[in-house]
Amino acid sequence: MAFTVDFYEQGRKNVRKTIVLVVVFLVMMAAFGLIIDIIFGILPIFTLIFLVVALVQLLISLSSGKEIVLKSVRAREARQDDPEERQLKNIVDELSLAAGMAKPPDVYVVDDDTVINAFATGRKSEDSVICVTSGLLKQLDREETSGVIGHELSHIVNRDILIMTLISALLGAVVIIQLMAFRALITYVRFGAFGAATRSRRSSKKGDNSTLVILAFLAAVAGLGAAFSFIGRLSLLAVSRTREYFADARAVELTRNPVGLSRALRKIVTNSQKMKTANIATAHLFISDPLKRHINNKSSFFASLWSTHPPIAMRISILENRSLKEVESELASYL
Amino acid sequence: MVILFIVLGIVVVLALWIIGVYNNLVTLKKRVENAWSQIDVQLKRRHDLIPNLVNSVKGYMKFEQETLEKVMQARARAVSAQGVGDKIKAEQELGGVLGRLLAIVENYPDLKANTNVSQLMEELTSTENKISYARQFYNDSATKFNTKIEIFPNNIVVGFFGGKFEAFPLFEVTEGERETPKVDLSF
Repeated sequence: MAFTVDFYEQGRKNVRKTIVLVVVFLVMMAAFGLIIDIIFGILPIFTLIFLVVALVQLLISLSSGKEIVLKSVRAREARQDDPEERQLKNIVDELSLAAGMAKPPDVYVVDDDTVINAFATGRKSEDSVICVTSGLLKQLDREETSGVIGHELSHIVNRDILIMTLISALLGAVVIIQLMAFRALITYVRFGAFGAATRSRRSSKKGDNSTLVILAFLAAVAGLGAAFSFIGRLSLLAVSRTREYFADARAVELTRNPVGLSRALRKIVTNSQKMKTANIATAHLFISDPLKRHINNKSSFFASLWSTHPPIAMRISILENRSLKEVESELASYL
Repeated sequence: MVILFIVLGIVVVLALWIIGVYNNLVTLKKRVENAWSQIDVQLKRRHDLIPNLVNSVKGYMKFEQETLEKVMQARARAVSAQGVGDKIKAEQELGGVLGRLLAIVENYPDLKANTNVSQLMEELTSTENKISYARQFYNDSATKFNTKIEIFPNNIVVGFFGGKFEAFPLFEVTEGERETPKVDLSF
C-alpha cells in the first residue's frame, strides 16, 4: 500500500489523544488517592496530594519540558561556523520545507562521538527542537542524515513530541509518589517503629496499633504506586513503539528515499555505543534506544510488551521490503 | 409551525456546512499559495549563489570554462524569463547544467579542500534540495486541494463561489527526480 498521510490531520488527532490521555491520567490519580483515603478514612487528603503532584508535573513539563530534556542530555546549540553542523542545519531547513513547516526547528548537538542517535522535543512545531549526537554528524553522510531528520520532523509535525513529553512527565509523577511512599516506609520501619516500640513500653498499648496502621498505610501507597506505574509504563511503551514505525514511513514520504534511513539505522546497530547522558525517562524520545537494552532487539510477544523501540531489524526489513530473517542474519554478520 | 422549524433547522445546518467547506477550502488554498511562494524564494537564492560559486572555482577549472559559461548563460535566461511557462523551462535548464557543474567539482580534490568553495557547494546543494522539496510540497498540497474541490458534494459549494476555487497546475516529475517509494506497513 502506498503511504500518504495528511500531517495536519494527524497532528490534530494527536492533540485530541493527548487531552484524553491527560484527563484519564488525572482521573486515575484521583481514584488512586480516593482508594487510600477511603480505606483509612482520611478523605480528602491523599486525593488532593496526588492531584496536586500530577498537576504540578504537567505544568512543569508543559512550560519547560524541552529545556529539562536538553539539559539532561547535555545538549548545546549547533554552531553555524562548523561545516558539519552547518550542513545539519541545512538538511533540517530542507526537510522543513518538504513538510510545509512555517519555521524550521532549532538544532542542538550532544558532544558524544561514540553515539549515533537523535531525538526531537518541544510542545508544538514552532518551539520544537531537533537534537543529534556529534557521532551522527561524523559517521552519517548527507543522505543518511536526511533520513534521520525526516523521521524526527515527522514526530514534530505529528505532534508526537507533545504526547511523548507529557507521558514522561506523568510517569514521573507516579514515580515521585512511589518514591515518597517507599522512603517514608523505610524511614518509619527503621526509626518510627523503633521509637513507637520504646514508647509503648512506657505508655499504653495503643501505640502498637497505630504503628501497624501507619505501616499498612504506607505499604498500600507504595504497592498501589508500583502497580500503577507498571500499567502506565506498558501503555507508554505501546504508544512509543507504533509511533516509530509511522515516523519511519513518513520520513520516507518526505525524503522520497527509503535507503538513507535504512542505511542510517544499520550504522546505528553496528557503530553506536551506549549513550551516557540518556536515561530511562528520556530513552523513548530517541530514534533508537540510546541505552542499547537487549529487550529492544527481540521480537517475541513478551519482549515487545516491554520494549521502548521496535527492533531495528524489523524497521530495516520494512524500509527495504525484505524478509525479517534475511535482515536479522545480515545484521548478525556485522557484529 | 413544526414544519417551519424543521425547514429553518435544515437551512441553518446547510449554511453551517457550506461555511465549513468554504473555510476549509480557503485554508487549503492559502497553503498551496504559500508553497508556491517558497519555491520562488529558493529560486532567488539559487540565482544569488551561482555567480559566487562560478567566481571562486574559475581559477581552478581551466578546462571547464565552457561549463561555467553555460551555467552563467542559463542563469541569465532564468533571471530574465517572463511568465510562468518560460520561467519553469528556464529554471529546469539551469537545474540541469548546475547539476553537471556540481558533479564536475566533485572530481577536483583541490577544489573540495578549499573551505570557501566547499561552503558554497554545500549552500547550493542545499538550495537545490530545497527547490525540489518545495516543489514536492507544492505538488502534494495542490493535489489535495484539486481533489477537494472536485469531490462531491464539495463541487456544488465550489460552484456557488464562481472562479474563487480553481485547480492549481502541477509540476511534472522530470527524469531523474525521485518518485514516491512505497512503504508497506501491513506487516
